[in-house]
Order: sequence, then C-alpha cells, then structure tokens
Amino acid sequence: MEENKKKPTEQGSITRFIARSWREYSFVLVFIVILIIYSIVVTSRGYSFSWDYVATVLSSTTGAVVGIIALGMSLVIITGQIDLSVGSMLVIVGSFSVIIYNMTGSIVLTIVAAILGGAICGAINGALVGLGKMPPFIVTLSTMLIFRSIAEYFVTIINIQYTGSSYKYQLNDTYGNYLLLREIGSGKLSLGGITIPYVTIIFVVFVAIMVYISTSTKYGKKVYAVGSNERAAKLTGINVDLVKMSVFIICGMLTGVASLIQVWKNISITPASSGMSYEMYAIAAVVLGGVSMAGGRGKVVGIFFGALSYSTVDKIISASGLDIYIQGTFQGIVLILVVLVQTLSPVISEKLRTRRQIALNERLTISESPSDTKDPEN
Amino acid sequence: MNILEMRSISKSYYTNQVLFDVNFTVQQGEIHALLGENGAGKTTLMNILAGVVPLDLGRIWFDGDRITSPTITSMEKLGITFVHQELNLINDLRVYENIFLNREVTNRIGTLKKEFMIEESSKLFDMLGVEIDPTALVGHLTAAEKQLLEICKALYFNSKLFILDEPTTALSNDEIDHLFSILINLKTEGKSFIFISHKIPEVFQIADTYTVLRNGYVTANGRIADTNPSEITRFMVGETLSSNKVYTPRDLGSTALELNNLSGIGFNNVSFTAKKGEIIALTGLTGCGASELLQCVFGVAPIYGGSIKVNNKHIRGRKISRRMRSGIAMLPSNRQENSVIPDLTILENEYLAEHVLSNNIQHIFKDREIKKYERLKEVLNIKAEKPDDLITSLSGGNQQKVFIARWLNTNADILLFDNPTQGVDVGAKAEIYKLILSFAEAGKTIIINTLEIPEIKEVADRCIVFYEGQQIADFQHDAIDEHTIMQYSTNAINTSGRG
Repeated sequence: MEENKKKPTEQGSITRFIARSWREYSFVLVFIVILIIYSIVVTSRGYSFSWDYVATVLSSTTGAVVGIIALGMSLVIITGQIDLSVGSMLVIVGSFSVIIYNMTGSIVLTIVAAILGGAICGAINGALVGLGKMPPFIVTLSTMLIFRSIAEYFVTIINIQYTGSSYKYQLNDTYGNYLLLREIGSGKLSLGGITIPYVTIIFVVFVAIMVYISTSTKYGKKVYAVGSNERAAKLTGINVDLVKMSVFIICGMLTGVASLIQVWKNISITPASSGMSYEMYAIAAVVLGGVSMAGGRGKVVGIFFGALSYSTVDKIISASGLDIYIQGTFQGIVLILVVLVQTLSPVISEKLRTRRQIALNERLTISESPSDTKDPEN
Repeated sequence: MNILEMRSISKSYYTNQVLFDVNFTVQQGEIHALLGENGAGKTTLMNILAGVVPLDLGRIWFDGDRITSPTITSMEKLGITFVHQELNLINDLRVYENIFLNREVTNRIGTLKKEFMIEESSKLFDMLGVEIDPTALVGHLTAAEKQLLEICKALYFNSKLFILDEPTTALSNDEIDHLFSILINLKTEGKSFIFISHKIPEVFQIADTYTVLRNGYVTANGRIADTNPSEITRFMVGETLSSNKVYTPRDLGSTALELNNLSGIGFNNVSFTAKKGEIIALTGLTGCGASELLQCVFGVAPIYGGSIKVNNKHIRGRKISRRMRSGIAMLPSNRQENSVIPDLTILENEYLAEHVLSNNIQHIFKDREIKKYERLKEVLNIKAEKPDDLITSLSGGNQQKVFIARWLNTNADILLFDNPTQGVDVGAKAEIYKLILSFAEAGKTIIINTLEIPEIKEVADRCIVFYEGQQIADFQHDAIDEHTIMQYSTNAINTSGRG
C-alpha cells in the first residue's frame, strides 16, 4: 500500500487554494469572461464600453426578475427537486397584485398580496410533493398549466375596472402613488457618476438575504443536508418532508417579489405571454451559478452571477447586430459549455487515475504464470 | 483442475486496507464455501472477481488464462456469474424477457422471436426441474423462484463459475433443499460454485471445500470433510484480543431504557432493561433483528406492539426529533449511506443533529460551534486538519468519530450504536470501544449492535443474541464467549451434531 500523504508545503497550499477557488467560484470567472466578450463586441461596433451597458444588464428582465426567481429555484434545486411552475406563478401572482392595487390603491397591500399569493402557490406545490409524495417534476408541471390558465381565464371574467384591459392586467394610473411604482420599476439611483437601477438594488438585497439564510442559519444547512444525503439527513432528526415543502414556499414568495418587479417595470402583465419560459431561464441561471442539479452542492451567491451571465449573453446578441432569433442558440451553447466543463473534469481525472493504476499493476505482475498444481491447503 | 486462482490479492479503499495478500482457489466441479464475519472482505474479493471494483495488486487466472483488468462485461463473457443478494432481475419484464435481456433472439429484420425464446426457456426449466412459467411477470414470482431464475439465466449462457451471495436468506427449508439438489446436479456436470453463507449448518450440508477470511486475511482453507462447525467458527472470530484489556466493571444507576414485548419490522417480543452506565451488546447475523430493533427505538421504523420507556416515561409519537428530545441518539450502521452528508464540511456534519434540537435560534454562531467541535475533537481524538474541510476528506475511522461527536453534541443519555466499527481500521476500532467505555463511565446508557464478538467481550456488561428476530440468549460479561455466541447466532448450537 502506498503512503501518499505528503506534508502540505507552502506551494501545495497555494495550488490547493487556487484549485478550490476555481471549483467553488467558477461562476465569477464565467461572468467575467462573458462580460469581456460583451465589451469586445460593443467596442468592435464602434461604441465605447461604459457602465451604462452594465446597468442595462443589471436592470434587464432576465437580470432582476429571473434572478430573484432563480434565488428561490436554487433552494429547490439544492434539495434535489425542481419547480417548473414559477413562470406561470409569476403571471397569476402578478395579475392578482394588479387587481389588489387597482382595487385599493395601496402599495403595501399589493406587496403583501403578492408575497402571500406566491407563498400559497408554493405551498400547494410543496404539499403535493411533501405530503402527497408526488414527484416535483409532475406536480409543478401540472401547476404550471393550472396557474397560467387561471390568470388567462379570469382576465376575461373580472370587471375591466379592476383588470384595466380585456386581455391583460394593467395598473390603474389614476392613483397618486402610480408614479412611485413606475419609478421603482424603471428608475435608477445616481451614485457619483454611475447609475444603479432600483430593481438591481432590490435584487442585491434579496441575494444578501438568501446568502445569509443558506450559509449562516440552521435552516439553510438543513436544506443542503437534505439534498446531499436525504437518508442521513432524516437520521439526524431533520424533518425532511417539511424542508422539502418549505423550499417551495420560499420559492413562491420570491416569485411573488419578482412578479411585482415584472408588473411595475412593464405597467401590465399579459397572461398569454408574460413569464413564458422563465422557469427554464431560472434553471439556467441556477446552473450557470454553479449549483449542482443533483442537489446538495452550490452557492446561492452564484445565482447573482449566473443570472447576470445569462442576461449578458442576451445583450451580446443584440449588440452584435445578429438576428434576435439566434439568441436562444447562443444561450444554449453557453449553458452546454459551462456544464460540460463541470461534468467532464472529474470523469477525465478519474480516467487518468485508472490508467496510471493499470500501468502500475501491469509492471508489477509481468511474466507470471498460474500454478495449476497448487493445493488448496496452506 | 483449478478453474479459478486468485493470488496475492490486495485492495484498499482510500486508507483502509480490506484485503491483504489473499489467495483463493476454486477447483472445477466443486462447491467452495467462502466464509467470514461481516467486513471480513468476502464481498470485496468477489466484487474484484466479478469486475465490479478494480484490484490494487494481485493476479487472477480463470480457466487457465491470465486476466489482467477484469470488467463486469469481460468476466461475464468468460463465464463468471455473480448472483447477488439483491437480485438483478427486472420486475416489470416477463421471465423469458429477463433470461434473454440484452441477448434477444431476433430474425433478420430485428423482430423478436418470442415463441422461440419462450420455448427455449421452458426447455431450460424442464431440464433443471424448475417450475416457472416463462411468460409470467418476474414481479409476481416468489423470492425463491427469482433466485432460481437468476441461476437458470446464467446457465443458459454457459457460465462456468457461479458466485452465490447468501442465496438462501429468502428461502424456506423446502426451497433450500430444492436449490441444493439443483446445485449438486450442476456440480456433477462440471459447474463450479462459490457459496457465500453465514449459516454454518448449510455450509456443511452442501460445500466441498472452504476458505475463511478474517479482517482481510485468509485464516484457513481446506476440505469441509476435514473440519467441524466449531473449528470453522473459531477461524471466523479469531483468538481473543487479550493483550489490552479495557473492560472495567462499573456501578450501574437507575433504569434508563425499558423495552416491554417490543415488536416491529424484523423482530418480535423483545424485552430488556438498560441502566445508567450500562453497556449492552446485541449480536446476531445480518437480518437477525438487532439493527431493526435499534431503528425502532430511535423512531426510524414503526412500533408494531409493546412499549418503550425512557426514564420511566412512555415514548409516544414516531418522530425521530421527538426521540432525540427524550435523550436518545443513534449512530446508524452503514456510514456512507446513513451518516455521511458528503457535500457538507466536518463541522457542519458534526453540528447538524444538535441544531434540530436548538431550532428556535436560527443563526449559527460559528465561533461557538467551532469551540464545541474542538472540545469533542480532542476528547474523541479526531484526526482532522480544519473544521471547514469536507467530511469526505477523512478516513473511515475519523468520519465515524465525527458522527459520534454529532451525537455527543446533543447531550443524549442513551446512545444506540449500530455496527459502529463497520469499515473502520483496527486501530480506530480499539479507540472507538475505549470511548464507548468512557461514555458509560460518565453514566450514559449504551446499546451496541455488532457482529464483532471479540470486541463485545472487551466492552459489554451484557450480551443479547438474536436469531431470526428473536432474543435467543442472554449472557453476563463473565459468560461472554465468542465461540458460544457464534454458535447461538448461527444457530449451530442446534445442528452441530455433524461436527
């Protein structure tokens, strides 16, 4: 047996630090690379790359709305589950918030309604998974159909006085605080020369909250434990079903927040088209953020960079003057490349290790023959 | 003639060596029993032979040919079949479909020749005297039929050597007799068998030769006719570890745990009481019910009947967290599956159970957690560099100590240890048992389920032997004797006439 435990030398610890940083923070590098490509594309088109370009990335729908949804999605994925209903949930909760606003004119009530509505939608998913023992994929596939359809149906039923339109839910612009909503949705904060969209500030605040929950609370560690080894988690006394349900509720609440931004940014929400495919964008942002789809592994702070990487790819396409329809192709390719690097590196290192071991074994045991006459006795 | 020769086989998992220079030879046309306690290395040796795990060092010859790097497919092609304990049949397919799985007979354009395959299957069953309908769904077969089917399947494709891993555990006596008569028939046709079993009487009934493994070494081999059950048992358990006696009698306190006619999955009518400071060892073969009993007490499995009392209070409900609040902790068996949370750090793995109890304050005060961990690390002598390293960076023994720390951290009074030294190297084993004694000194109640009988003698005040879900014997410390216990747990005490 070989003894390959070496004393960690100074150099060894530095390489280990780099290797570890690469493993754990590769999403930052991915974002930087994509941002550099963006700046190159912009400069090559004859413009000078400035902070404004970054600000548009930050305030884009995929940057903030999908980013906040992806924060919730990351917890769901860390427990080894999936939520496909978030796009439809965005629509139903957003529509609900518009109706509440149009009825009351109160921002506070609207916020409470959106977060509560999201929590209820999440609780439905969670209960079916945790108590009904159904696979999350099927549950959220079904609620994806249900949520959007309800929003589509009720837009035709509810009095136009509350919906504001016959095919979408539109904010009533006669209330005094209407401009405040619009300002939050599209406005920017100027800070010494650079401008930061308010929605980005909201996104960053939620990133901070979720990073805190996932790294520094007992609940956060339980979420990781359940995703990493469900059976072992159960045997430490963790109520696994409850944890699995709770991540859906949190995901729903964050989707509620995202729906407010979606509505306040665009004044309205259209059941037939808003939030379409957002569940896939959110999953993509989670994956680009370095969270393992197998559960148990990944950092929530990665979602921030994942969402920004994803929306930067959008901007690169539009800045390069390519047809908008080719956008999905590039997004897909980036996703494949990033994940391919993650999945193939352990496979390749394992292959190399096996090859070394076989070569070693061959060398040690060359030119031997069986002893057919040997007795079974010692 | 040797059909199989494995020479100087060594194998380690990380730093834990499980096979040391093992020689293993099977002659053509014999049934060769491979014996040993759990963790002796039998499964690893057979997994190497079947190409499931790569070997570190050693040579293998099969049917006269040197085999350099065995893989599952290459070994199957050569004619080695591993009939696993957990059968590899597909329940949703029919019997004949299972036999021809991945080797379907088709006509020229790729359509299945179903009738041909069904006919071939029934011919095969007739030849072997097996009564299975080739078109039945495998899911509807009994355990015995599945076992036979697995063997038939291998026979159809001309296997030469069969590895039977505890083939009789799911079978009734009649079914066992039937299986054995088939094995004897096949033996006369020149097929060879490696027969893994814990049931000594069975081995004497069917096997021709044997090899005994203990802690990764071959301790004996030879012809069954030249030995007897008690000798075999001695080779399996080894000599007493008399060198460093650690056992000291203690004053016992009041009753901490009381089981009254407790029944659950896999055990029936178990009653005993455990006092503060007492160490009780439960032992028996895998599936004897001792492990299941611990799981039931910890709330993992339901109670079918009877009652559990902790400190004279009845246990209610079936939530693990509630049992933990009443002061029970359990270190489960099978560390990899039931304890290790591989994506978390050492520290996180350690504090997880305590956090279930202190759920009201959600913030983790990391400095305090590290201080608590460092204290336990010192007590348990855990060899780990940084608390933020992944748990998987530790050796098996050190991981296990982290999980002991996990439960000590909850301040539990009753510690249930299910096979605590499984997959742990010899040095760490001794340490773990010393620790267990020190916990008892501190007044904790300890119940250990283990198959390591020599170690029971080192620590236990009492030993309860289980056989097929029943308490069949109870020994005080002075009466604990490996040989007797092994005879009880294999039920050899009732069948040792031949030896």
